Amino acid sequence: MLLKVDNVTKTFGGVHAVRNVSFSINKGETVGLIGPNGAGKTTLLNVIVGTYKADSGKIELDGNDITTKPPYKICHLGISRTYQLPQAFWDLTAIANVAVAGLCGKHRPDMSYGDAMLEASHCLELVGLFGKRNILARDLTLYELRTLGLARALATTPRLVLIDEAMAGLNPGEALRAVKLIRRLKEEYHLTIFWIEHIMKIIMEAADRVVVLNYGEKIAEGPPKEVINNPTVVEAYLGKKHA
Amino acid sequence: MVKLEHKKARLVLRLGDLKLEWAIERRYWRNPLIAVSCLLVLPLLISGRADLVSLLTMASIYACIAIPLTWQITGTSRMNFGPQLFVGVGGFTAGLLGIHAGLGPWQTLPIVILVSLACALLLSPLTIIAKGLYFSLITLLLPLIFLEITYYRSDIFRGETGISGIPHLFDLGSISLNYITGCYFSIALALLFLFIVDKVMRSRLGLYAAAINDNEDVANAVGLNTNRYKVVTFCITSEMIGIAGWLMAHYYGTFAGVTYLPLIFMIKILLMVMIGGRGQLYGAVVGAYFVAFLEYFLTGIGPVHYVVFPLILLILLFILPEGLYGLYRKHRYREYYPTIKVRRKEI
Repeated sequence: MLLKVDNVTKTFGGVHAVRNVSFSINKGETVGLIGPNGAGKTTLLNVIVGTYKADSGKIELDGNDITTKPPYKICHLGISRTYQLPQAFWDLTAIANVAVAGLCGKHRPDMSYGDAMLEASHCLELVGLFGKRNILARDLTLYELRTLGLARALATTPRLVLIDEAMAGLNPGEALRAVKLIRRLKEEYHLTIFWIEHIMKIIMEAADRVVVLNYGEKIAEGPPKEVINNPTVVEAYLGKKHA
Repeated sequence: MVKLEHKKARLVLRLGDLKLEWAIERRYWRNPLIAVSCLLVLPLLISGRADLVSLLTMASIYACIAIPLTWQITGTSRMNFGPQLFVGVGGFTAGLLGIHAGLGPWQTLPIVILVSLACALLLSPLTIIAKGLYFSLITLLLPLIFLEITYYRSDIFRGETGISGIPHLFDLGSISLNYITGCYFSIALALLFLFIVDKVMRSRLGLYAAAINDNEDVANAVGLNTNRYKVVTFCITSEMIGIAGWLMAHYYGTFAGVTYLPLIFMIKILLMVMIGGRGQLYGAVVGAYFVAFLEYFLTGIGPVHYVVFPLILLILLFILPEGLYGLYRKHRYREYYPTIKVRRKEI
């Protein structure tokens, strides 16, 4: 078991963004996280990577408690993430964006600047962004920014990658390319993937297991085929009439 | 007969049969050695005029403040509006020790370093706690509080008149020789700071600084300990500014809080840092010399710089929000973002 989330609760003022959620992710799995808008998916992800501190509950990575660790330490332990709204170092070139991640991602003070650039170029090559290495991040398109986010996540040598809506804002062709890319990276690097997604079709194909959140609570978990026929899930998405 | 001709891409010198050629490439003009040798020759050329030597010294000391500040602005991703606090700390430490304990400039230097480091460490949590506008406001207020203290405890800090009789940096017998040596020393210190900050900015620490300046949260998420980096940056740069204050106290022999701590001095520093572009290292050097020379020419008209400096800053922020470097970047896009050449790794 790679990641274990145990009874995690996170509140903002009086709002329970995440309430008593527990699940676990095994090594090599692709776990999907779905739920209607405002269900607390991104909050849960932020709690896992340490951006928010959980109010109660426990998060374990390989048996180590990472609940109270700061984000950079969690990154060193092997969890990296991508963002729903693409985030980047906007005034740096694509390759510098990835090189920062390569240099900081682990404790390697002996790694030289040149080595980091080389590794970054390798990561860019993998996601198909090598040709745009000298373009500023602010000048990249949305699809390129998403792949840049993946390359940056990859450069930190993660074991678990948390993907926050990789498809948001992409057209169907680009979305297909992104799915293929994520699958290829998963196989090549033996990654474990925790994937938040809105597009049902993609998550049905890609995920081994799906966790469903609604109003911050876990309402279902299981293989995609089972979950999609679960009356509680249908109710959460479409209302009581369809359940 | 010497014949000098300037062709498009080369400089040709003919002396009888002798013919010397130099290719002129644009990169030669950016060679730092040219600027450095200019700075080293200049004091000798103007050595007859004490006011110009003093001006050049002042400009170099301004550069000593502006250069570390550019690193601080990018490395902490916060705009420090009160760097003159550390000028005050350094200057008063050196001055008070100089007149009361009778210490020479080289004996006060380590103490100045220690005291400004202690102050920087005390204030460094601000870079973690306060963000954006709040950091600027707090740092803006700190030197003003210090200024009030110098009035209130004028038995120690001597209020408006300031401390005088601080031992001079060099005592070589003649006054003009002292001035020239002081000028060279200030230039050397500015060059040392420039060298250090330039090296840092080109290393991985510079890359981290750029990353923090751009997006602190992502930098933390990819594994950079941003808090530690910001604190260290703040301490080192404040330290350097404190040393500039030490130099001021020992160069002039007097140090008054009313000269260095009020808002108008901050606006001067702000103008230096903004004229080249926010946080641009070489822009700050140009800015420092520009401000010092402008101040010199304005003193002939009267005390107008209280109006002129803020006015220039205002116009600059409207016309060139990205400074001179922004202008350069706009026209020479490709040169500004140098292509990073990497060998393609065989997969």
